[in-house]
Amino acid sequence: MTETPLATPLHPALRLTRAAGFALGGAGALFLAILLAVSIGAVAVPLSTVWGILAHQITGLVTPDWTPGREAIVWDIRFPRALLAALVGAGLGITGAALQAVTRNPLADPHLLGISSGGAFGAIAALLHTGLFLGLLTVPLMAFGGALAATLMVLAAARLTGATSADRLVLAGVAISFIIMAGANILIFLGDPKATHTVVFWMLGGLGLAQWGHLIYPLAVLLPAGLWLWSQSAALNAMSLGDETAASLGIPVARFRLSVFVAGALITGVMVAFSGIIGFVGLMMPHLVRLIAGGDNLRVLPLSALFGAIFLTLADTLARVVMAPEDMPIGVVTGLIGGVFFLWLMARRT
Amino acid sequence: MKYALAALLLMATPALAFPVTVKSCDRQVTFDKAPTRAIANDVNLIEMMLALGLRDQMVGYTGVSGWKTLDEGLRSGIAELPELSAKYPTREVLAGAEPDFFFAGWNYGMTVGGEVTPETLAPLGIQVYELTESCIFVGPKSKSSMEDMYADILNLGTIFGVDDRAQALVAGYKARLSEVTAGVDREVPLRVFVYDSGEETPFTAGAYAIPTALIEAAGGVNIMDDLEKSWATVAWEPVVERNPEVIVIVNYGDVTADQKIAFLEANPAFANVDAVKNDRYVVLEYVEATPGPRNIAAVEKLVAGFQGD
Repeated sequence: MTETPLATPLHPALRLTRAAGFALGGAGALFLAILLAVSIGAVAVPLSTVWGILAHQITGLVTPDWTPGREAIVWDIRFPRALLAALVGAGLGITGAALQAVTRNPLADPHLLGISSGGAFGAIAALLHTGLFLGLLTVPLMAFGGALAATLMVLAAARLTGATSADRLVLAGVAISFIIMAGANILIFLGDPKATHTVVFWMLGGLGLAQWGHLIYPLAVLLPAGLWLWSQSAALNAMSLGDETAASLGIPVARFRLSVFVAGALITGVMVAFSGIIGFVGLMMPHLVRLIAGGDNLRVLPLSALFGAIFLTLADTLARVVMAPEDMPIGVVTGLIGGVFFLWLMARRT
Repeated sequence: MKYALAALLLMATPALAFPVTVKSCDRQVTFDKAPTRAIANDVNLIEMMLALGLRDQMVGYTGVSGWKTLDEGLRSGIAELPELSAKYPTREVLAGAEPDFFFAGWNYGMTVGGEVTPETLAPLGIQVYELTESCIFVGPKSKSSMEDMYADILNLGTIFGVDDRAQALVAGYKARLSEVTAGVDREVPLRVFVYDSGEETPFTAGAYAIPTALIEAAGGVNIMDDLEKSWATVAWEPVVERNPEVIVIVNYGDVTADQKIAFLEANPAFANVDAVKNDRYVVLEYVEATPGPRNIAAVEKLVAGFQGD
């Protein structure tokens, strides 16, 4: 199941143009996905109005001939939501790809290491027990804190049990996940049952909380952490070959793996804090990318981020219109649509 | 057009001069003018609006057909208004109706930390008044009382500039309440259990849910009034242990009151509970068991049910 890290040799110049073409095409596709997401929703807003509002907000050159409510729908509700979907998708995609490389486990995903259950635990504790003592950012902050605390617990458990190999680290993560989830369920049980509505949102994920003022936080984490991961593609390629090989290439295996975990925990933690637990994206996007573009992490990481962004933007658009006026939980869409699509793709390529 | 109507109302009633400020849970909310495009969520909140004669200031409602059926009285009251969402609304659905006011509560259309809260609606120009009973979800609150419902009516009266109407309504409720509870024997309060739903574990009303106040007004005591919660799930054991003499069934949704009673009757665990042994059930409709104008009729039903032998 290990991927070959060696791409088919191409003339360097040709390789560059192909990468540039990919990047341009991908950026264009993401732009179109966001435009589509902003254009449709539970309330029917004519396309001309949607684009007029966007043009008005961005350039200030268009004279408004629409109602404030329409403007709020397009500019304050749909647009930040589409951008949040893209950010979360990108973060989960790149984290999944990096974790799959360092654990050499094709089933590794951002939610594997207790990160997400820790985030959910923090959020639920804030919502049901401590109250919003830090204002509107209480829940995201508690979720982020919970995610990081869970990661530290996993690392401590690994150290305690002397687990340095990838497999045992994953097992430690799974065990900690179970413990934290049990804790979260205790909180739910002790909290008010009518708050289960909120808890369900957290467990299934959703992008309905998106607002302009919050987008900076996932972006501020994703950019540096994501770029750092990308800069380590060569080391990630070496890790895919096995610990001994990576060590012989001069990579401090155990320490490098921990660094990747911490970067992944930072990204996943901040994503969970604003959107709950969204499954599938982090696990499947890297596989989709490898089916298309081979196993070199120099390409797999950025493309996983790009595909994740496009996929989640489209999935959320579907979630908003399928049961309109209600939002379907995004996890249902990503799991069902994504899973079926992925199987179809595998069948086609074998 | 709408402004003209508001102006007429203002002239017709010696309302407080705008701007007015009301307390909504732990917030102070200031209204510069009476809302003209209101949305209310859930049947009991809609009824408060209708009782105050505010239908013409409404542009729609949410959260009714997803759970329960409207009864005739309410159906005609909101006949021409659109239901924007069968369950809890999203921000987009609310914004699409261009409202200036949303009357909702915690777990009555809004969830703590959810997409629709007073904070998330503020940027859309939508002001929110929260149902008093639901304030326990966002901070400390006194035990449930009839005053909670009166406070909501009076606050809505202030917000919409129809104070005298609100005061008249509340005075009427109080008069009617003392009328229906005049002959109530309060020496030894009846032990009462509220059964909302659930078979594995019962969903019931705790200290902060309005049925506790309704039961007390009718001369009973909610056996779960030591539960420091609003609506909550408990275990069956304490229910059996505390041996209610009357069980109040909340009727709504898919499981009928008769099915709930049949469940209680068929389970040997409840065979020795006084209420089950003596067939003493009082059925309250959802709209009677949640804060709103029908609470008075609910107390009347309870009084009648408690007096039966």
